[in-house]
Amino acid sequence: MIIVLAIDALEYDLVEEFNCKNLKQDFYGKTNISEFSQPRTMVLWSSFMTGENKEKEVLSEGNKEMWNKKWDLKETFFSHFKNPIILDLPGFNYDLEVHEKSRKDLKSFFETELQEDKEKIRKIYNQDAFGHHRKIKEAFLTALNENHDFVLGYFSVADVIGHLNFGNKLMMKMIYKDLDDLAAKTKQKENNTLIVLSDHGMKSIGQFGDHSHYGFWSANKDLNNPKITDFYNFITSL
Amino acid sequence: MGNGKMNQEKEHLKLVIVGHIDHGKSTLIGRLFYDTDSLPEDKMEDIKQTCEALGRELEFGFIMDHLEEEREQGITIDTAQTFFNTDKREYIIIDAPGHVEFIKNMITGASQAEAAILIVDAEEGIKEQTKRHSYVLSMLGLKQIIAVVNKMDLVDYKQERFEEIKKDLLNFLQDLDIKPNYVIPITAKQGDNIVKLSENMKWYNGVTILESLDSFKPKPSICDSPLRLPIQDIYKVGDKRINAGRIESGRIKKDDTIVILPENKITKVKSVEKYMEDISEAKAGESTGIITEDALFLDRGMVICHQDNKPRVTDTIETNIFWISKQPFDISKPITIKIATQEVKCTVEKMIKKINSSTLETIEGDSNILNELEVGSIILKTEKPVVIDDFNSVPGIGRFVLEEDQNICAGGIITKIK
Repeated sequence: MIIVLAIDALEYDLVEEFNCKNLKQDFYGKTNISEFSQPRTMVLWSSFMTGENKEKEVLSEGNKEMWNKKWDLKETFFSHFKNPIILDLPGFNYDLEVHEKSRKDLKSFFETELQEDKEKIRKIYNQDAFGHHRKIKEAFLTALNENHDFVLGYFSVADVIGHLNFGNKLMMKMIYKDLDDLAAKTKQKENNTLIVLSDHGMKSIGQFGDHSHYGFWSANKDLNNPKITDFYNFITSL
Repeated sequence: MGNGKMNQEKEHLKLVIVGHIDHGKSTLIGRLFYDTDSLPEDKMEDIKQTCEALGRELEFGFIMDHLEEEREQGITIDTAQTFFNTDKREYIIIDAPGHVEFIKNMITGASQAEAAILIVDAEEGIKEQTKRHSYVLSMLGLKQIIAVVNKMDLVDYKQERFEEIKKDLLNFLQDLDIKPNYVIPITAKQGDNIVKLSENMKWYNGVTILESLDSFKPKPSICDSPLRLPIQDIYKVGDKRINAGRIESGRIKKDDTIVILPENKITKVKSVEKYMEDISEAKAGESTGIITEDALFLDRGMVICHQDNKPRVTDTIETNIFWISKQPFDISKPITIKIATQEVKCTVEKMIKKINSSTLETIEGDSNILNELEVGSIILKTEKPVVIDDFNSVPGIGRFVLEEDQNICAGGIITKIK
């Protein structure tokens, strides 16, 4: 079974700092996303699954519509597998409602000036993000025990929580530890091959977090400063 | 819950927790804080909520992460919040070995642990770092030690496994001259035998970690330790000869019978003065002037003490030194040792062992050189006798610095007096 842990905003420096051994595996590093004008989630995951730089195409949909973009299975490398399962990946099958609500709440947080409102929004925003994380985690762990040749789980918790809470190091560490434990669980079967990939990382803006201009990868062989589009060929050649 | 402020009224004891990586140091520290209600309630609630939100059990290691984060951010100054309390006293947890600063502080005597917990994983048993950390405990001469066998749940709480590890551990520690006061089977994660005896190990009829800690004794305050007054200067005021110095430990008062070492002169205190003011008593930490009844010609570097508890006078001392100079120490060359106001040339008679302070690995190879951040166990021979104590009994003249061209190159403590 080939497993991809697709983690939004998994930051290389934090993986190092928190020494997440399972996320790091034998070989790990930063991905090169310098060909993209900005580290945009939808653009990067679209490019990952199609193996081509899709920045122009995704952006042409417009700022709002781009979030509804759905690539057809045939356009992605997932079609190379007999029985793949893809969980919640942006640009493919992610839960539009959940992710749209979190973007909306984030916007409201920065728009309101009342501290009391900010705290209310933060509470709901965090609750929703963690709740969604638990749901995907459960589905992912179930999929690992099913008869799939390819499992991809997309986890947005580091990104969503990071935007409002990146300065809360303890909370971030607890999230990274949870993701690290998830990586460990994929290794429980001998024949499993794990690839950990993030679209971009995260840098601190005061107490908040913003996307950084590189992603994270790890695998069982050295991929030497890969681009996000390189994973199409790498995964299909395994 | 604790309020995060240290209670100055309460007795304190400095504790260090050592052991191999992943054998459960952080979990044990977290558990001790949690079970003694020593963390601010809101922080504990944050940790609980986030664990719950992630769908995980409460993990006590995160409490340690919180404490470390506060220390990194400078929120925790010195010891505030890095303590947990019992009815008897407050325990201050000091940095763990593996940190250069810890070794440096311990070796230079800047911060001294009074007790240690050595933790060993019940499944894995003794590992490399268990050995290295035990060596550090022996090097520092710590005598109040609890050995704990953690993660008993992973071995089904079996007494046989505990006894097996206990035997291995005691054999190994015996070679280092360490005798743990207690060996306790625990599961830090579940709280077994931490503050209350475990239902899972009814075969164990010893004490809990907290009870064993409470049985330890803090070091006496420097004021209650034996008198050590190294003479710094002699002032002649009229026909008076005032012997001035800072009291390293103990108290001195008018009419005390005193001994002046290394000359071994005995006399009585005629008066105790401070800035020309006649006071009847002075204590540790104070700078004072002593006038003796007999007109003795004393000198800088001599040490005043009481007759019933004298330091030793010797020219051979066993030490541990922490080398801080970038320039390596060529041990074939003489160097200046300063012990309080005593200053004398010395040579290295023997280098017993040297270790890397960051990895705690023993350094093999060239035993004539000590590099920056290395710790050496060495025997020093002084050009003339010096007045000293074993650091663990009386710290004031049990610690020293080594100097080259008036630059401090190393700090050290005296571990044995030949």
